[in-house]
Amino acid sequence: MLSLRLLRVLLPPAERDEILADLESEYRERRARNGRLASARWLWLQILGSGPALVRRTWWRGNSGFDSSSNSMNPGGPQMERWIVEARFALRRLRTRPTYTALSVLTLALGVGGMAAIAGIVRPLLVNPLPYPRDNQLAMFWAPGSWHSREFITLRPQWTGFAAVAAYRPEDVTVEVDGAPTKFVPGIASSTELFDVLGVQPRIGRGFQAGEDGQGAERVVILSDALWREMGADPSIVGKPLRLDGIPRTVIGIMPRGFWFPDPAARVWLADNLNPTGRSGIYSLVGRVAPGQSVSNMQPVIDRATQLLGSLYTYPPEWDRTKNARLTPLREHVMGGMRPALFATLAAMAVIMLIACANVAALMLGQVESRSSELALRSALGADRGRIVSQLVMESLVLGLVAGLVGTLFAVAGFKVLRGALPLGAWSVSPALDWTLFAAAMIVAIIASLAVALLPAYSVWRSDLRAQLSGTRAGGKLQRRGGLQVFVVVGEVAAAVLLACGAGLLMRSVTNLYSIKPGFDTHGVAVVDIATPNMRRLARREVLLSIVREISSLPGVKAAAVAQKLPLRGNGNSGGIVVPSAPAGVPSTTFFRVGSKDYFKALGIPLLSGRSFDGSERTDTANTELAIVINEALAKTYYPNINPIGQVTGGAFGMAERIVGVVGNVAEANLTDPSAPVRYYLTEQSPFALENQTLVIRTTRPQDAVSIIPSVRAAIAKAAPNVAIQEATTMQHVFDRAVGPARDVRTLLGMLTGLALLLGAIGIYGVIAQFVARRAVDWSIRVALGLAPSRVVSLVVGHGVWMIVVGIAVGVGAALTLGRFLSALLYGVTAADPIAIIGASIALLTIGIVAALIPAIRASRTDPALVLRKL
Amino acid sequence: MNDETPLGTFEEQVMLAVLRTAGDAYGMVIRREIEEVTGREIAVGAVYATLDRLEAKKLVASRRGDVDGMSRRLFAVLPAGARALAESKAMRERLWRGVDLRGLLGATT
Repeated sequence: MLSLRLLRVLLPPAERDEILADLESEYRERRARNGRLASARWLWLQILGSGPALVRRTWWRGNSGFDSSSNSMNPGGPQMERWIVEARFALRRLRTRPTYTALSVLTLALGVGGMAAIAGIVRPLLVNPLPYPRDNQLAMFWAPGSWHSREFITLRPQWTGFAAVAAYRPEDVTVEVDGAPTKFVPGIASSTELFDVLGVQPRIGRGFQAGEDGQGAERVVILSDALWREMGADPSIVGKPLRLDGIPRTVIGIMPRGFWFPDPAARVWLADNLNPTGRSGIYSLVGRVAPGQSVSNMQPVIDRATQLLGSLYTYPPEWDRTKNARLTPLREHVMGGMRPALFATLAAMAVIMLIACANVAALMLGQVESRSSELALRSALGADRGRIVSQLVMESLVLGLVAGLVGTLFAVAGFKVLRGALPLGAWSVSPALDWTLFAAAMIVAIIASLAVALLPAYSVWRSDLRAQLSGTRAGGKLQRRGGLQVFVVVGEVAAAVLLACGAGLLMRSVTNLYSIKPGFDTHGVAVVDIATPNMRRLARREVLLSIVREISSLPGVKAAAVAQKLPLRGNGNSGGIVVPSAPAGVPSTTFFRVGSKDYFKALGIPLLSGRSFDGSERTDTANTELAIVINEALAKTYYPNINPIGQVTGGAFGMAERIVGVVGNVAEANLTDPSAPVRYYLTEQSPFALENQTLVIRTTRPQDAVSIIPSVRAAIAKAAPNVAIQEATTMQHVFDRAVGPARDVRTLLGMLTGLALLLGAIGIYGVIAQFVARRAVDWSIRVALGLAPSRVVSLVVGHGVWMIVVGIAVGVGAALTLGRFLSALLYGVTAADPIAIIGASIALLTIGIVAALIPAIRASRTDPALVLRKL
Repeated sequence: MNDETPLGTFEEQVMLAVLRTAGDAYGMVIRREIEEVTGREIAVGAVYATLDRLEAKKLVASRRGDVDGMSRRLFAVLPAGARALAESKAMRERLWRGVDLRGLLGATT
């Protein structure tokens, strides 16, 4: 019976059978008398009533060691009692060895904390990242961010096999709420299918309806839960108009909490006005395959679509939408970018965890070996190996549980560091600090402590304890012990080398990236992104220039300018160029940039020849000639043999463009791109002004780049209250961001490597110290016979070096094999970079020798007479 | 737990039941005895746990013995246990002395 079996585990073996038999016989009696139901109820009440009392008794027996005299022929309590006894024994033994205990707990806790922290970050991002039901049905279409609205409208009825397909594009808006400053809100403009595709409907209100994305349709918007709460969490907002970018739109829905698309930063979703003839490549397509279909077998549908596109439109070769057509699972599309960094960190943490386990295992092995005579005595007195092994397991479990508690503290700290340091972008909000971190720490700790007990337990199991009892007093080289420990240390060194190689590679790569000259001076420049909604071009120009004037007059500002696109922030606009004298085959378009007069001064872009913009340019409406500054790359490409200054070109705005100066190249879209031809126009003259602009402010003292920002904000609010500030940062930060994830991961991996080296050093020290202690008699005899103490040092260190060299060899081998997983983060170095590998090896060797020297010197100083007297 | 600790109510009941069933006092019998006299249902685990505690306090002793052909753990009250019971009873009587419940209980007595 189940009920009796439950009770069985709580009863000592001596009484088990009689009690259960009594219960069963009474149960039978009652069944005959009162029927089945009443007797079963009685039995269960007996069991449930007995449970707490028996658990208390087991606990008490475990703690007091009481055993009934009537059970002397069959002593011992239930299994649980033995665990309690052993846990108490382990605690007692650990208390007598505080150094060993503290070292083990700290080591394990470091590993556990790190592992739990990274698990806390990774779990929400990789395990369950997307807030959409059945997200395996969702896919991104090829060439995201470059679809035209007319293509989407053409293909709209063609998607057989898809439940729905939606087009969307980023559309950041300003929100005006009465009485509050204009707010900048990142958002999405999409076709009406979007929420059908994602399979999520608003929590309040409704989703988009077909037709709401047509030309002339009523403009509607759906808000995120967070934005709705920020605006006062009023459910009656649904149906009311909200001014976005100065245009009223009707709020039709509030999304559920936790929903995001396409990243957690987006907070409004607008029904777009899809232009059936729109030809700007700004849309991305996302689709959900029909039930029963899978993302991987949609290729025929895709092929039909590309055929249709090919037959309707002609594409230039570099934008050919009919090429490389494929679907990417949404999860891969969303998480792909951060995966290398996450996995690198996860792997590094796992290696640290391994090192920590190895360290504690080595320490425990040493303990087992130094206890060998005690263990042998126990075994002679009747303790079987199972009992001794279970003592070891209990000891490491106790260590593990304590380490788990301490590790939780480390995990919380590590979690915060990691969340800030990992290149998570908008996703840094999704991992939250909660109790799962504690659970993760405890689970990791228990697994780790069981792993730790494995080696010592194996060593006990394998060894002949009685032989040790007879041999133990002989000391010296009688037994070849410590072999397992050497194995552990070699593994530990190998793991540390592996990490150090990875960190070395990333360090080299980041150094390479930083050594790229961006072409401008990143120090002492504040950068403020602003949005200037619903203004006509000339009015916008006036507003921008008045802001620049206001900021320029601030104390501490050396130069201020407004620009449409900063270096290192994407490709920006391109325009046609006509240079009759240009060599054949040069591209017919170049990048163009628009900046106000002091743009070059503010960014520190050097003037190479001619003049910069100086305020002498005509800005009246009758002007027919624009002054432009070109960069060196344009001069070299289009004017290889003549001086470009004074030359007239055109092609972008239908006006003549006279070149007045040449400036140096800057990194345009990305740090690693080759330099590209660029024309600069003056904001004051430009026939073109985007809604989103960036202010660049160079401060007189470079360290003021951050502290100037509040007064810049104030100046903007004063000059143009209806302009929204999006982001305020520094040019150095823009540059750091361009260096990318490798930079963040380098910092992390650097820290982790430091930790690994520290743990490795502790491991080497511990093992060498035990090696020295084991051979104390050996050394003493040899020193007594005339061996110089310096030779003792070199012998001991030599033993350590031997282990370290083997470890390094294994680690380098592993690094060469595994290095390619880092390649996504590397720039300018190969995974087999000799400098990184040699550097890591030297670092390990140095640290290892230092760690071995301490016990070696101690060994050389022991007085042989003292040691030998103990024999 | 020292010998000075006064007996708990349940401990007292268990020891009295051991005395009442003298001879073949084992767990199940003790349980039934208490149930019959007090009319309360008692879990056998609680009886055994209490017996263990009493034995650790050296108030009862246990030995192995055969009852109806089955080996049982049989309990007997030790002199120290008897003293504890007597003390417990005396203490109760001292407490009762001078207590008159008649007014509170009213007409029923």
